[in-house]
Amino acid sequence: MAIDRKQIIERMSRIQMLPDAHGIIEACNVLVTQLPARFWNMFAERLTAKSPEELLEAKEYLLYNAAHECGYHTGHGIITSDEWKAVVAPMIERVPEDVLHGAYAVLTAWGWANSEIVELIPAEKMVVRAYDYYEADIVKYGKSPKLSAYMLAGVSAAFMELAYAGDYDPAGKCIGRFACKQVKGIECGDAYGEFVVTKA
Amino acid sequence: MPTVRKSEVEYDHYFDQKSNRHYLNGVLTVLHCHHYTSLYTQLAMDAGETDLLKECAREVFRDVLADYFRRHPAIAELQSKVEIACQYYAMIGLGSMRVVFMGDESGEVRLDSSHTDSGWMKKWGKSDKPINYLTAGYIEAMFEALLDAPAKSFHALEVESIAMGAPSSRFKVVRR
Repeated sequence: MAIDRKQIIERMSRIQMLPDAHGIIEACNVLVTQLPARFWNMFAERLTAKSPEELLEAKEYLLYNAAHECGYHTGHGIITSDEWKAVVAPMIERVPEDVLHGAYAVLTAWGWANSEIVELIPAEKMVVRAYDYYEADIVKYGKSPKLSAYMLAGVSAAFMELAYAGDYDPAGKCIGRFACKQVKGIECGDAYGEFVVTKA
Repeated sequence: MPTVRKSEVEYDHYFDQKSNRHYLNGVLTVLHCHHYTSLYTQLAMDAGETDLLKECAREVFRDVLADYFRRHPAIAELQSKVEIACQYYAMIGLGSMRVVFMGDESGEVRLDSSHTDSGWMKKWGKSDKPINYLTAGYIEAMFEALLDAPAKSFHALEVESIAMGAPSSRFKVVRR
């Protein structure tokens, strides 16, 4: 059986994230929040939009890095979770390529981005397209000159590391072996966001 | 119109299959982990932008809470509104909040558990200073929305912190 994106999205999107008696949501070996997407966008966009030009790259890197670390640990949590074992694992034929395709289906189901891999050279390069993502919501009219999908870029680099940078390391020493560059963005007027991951 | 004294927050989760987006009580939401919360907090501290982090939380949650009570006019008593706001905080995974007191000039809020603090400690261990700017913004929003006060009316300051080793976090609130 090959990866059935539609079925994964259908089943994984139905999982409700409910808190325990202490108001804490634990899922996929991490603590989870379900905050308004506007909160994350607002902070990232205000931080970068008001930044002096000479500090912009450093601030953008910090936003990207937050998602990179998050994607590495949460991504590992997802692909070792009971939900993954029940829904996605039975579809996997090729490791780690099918794992990667499945991970993007889950990422879509979680509401981060309607995204999929369009090119994959194992351990070398991955190209991801996102046809809708919440980070693009920062623009309501016109085109921004600034590519702003820091979260999706960071997570994409992390997913490549989980696939090709050796065993998962809880200390995250593998983080940084791959880098992702966003080359197109809905927020910039493109029809989709495009993300290219290569060795760092 | 009858008033509701003991309240339970609404949980209406909807996944839009066309856009692949999640809505909680009509608000577009997104799942993120404690690594992300911790790194955003650290980023704000490093960049000298903790006020921005708090401001974003205040603006967003002021709208969320105000909209919630607009859609539920039967919840009219302050006690019920406080209960709902604390339940909402828990529902989105931020932790367990208790309002010790709320007034037009001041207030005090405690957290018995906290995603931000537990996540920070899980990732980096104890902190040498309070780190929960997100919750400070939530508290300012809650005071504004529940007391019908203008934006930026209150200042919440974390004076005891779970991340620093305290059994609970304590926030002092004062009118600006």
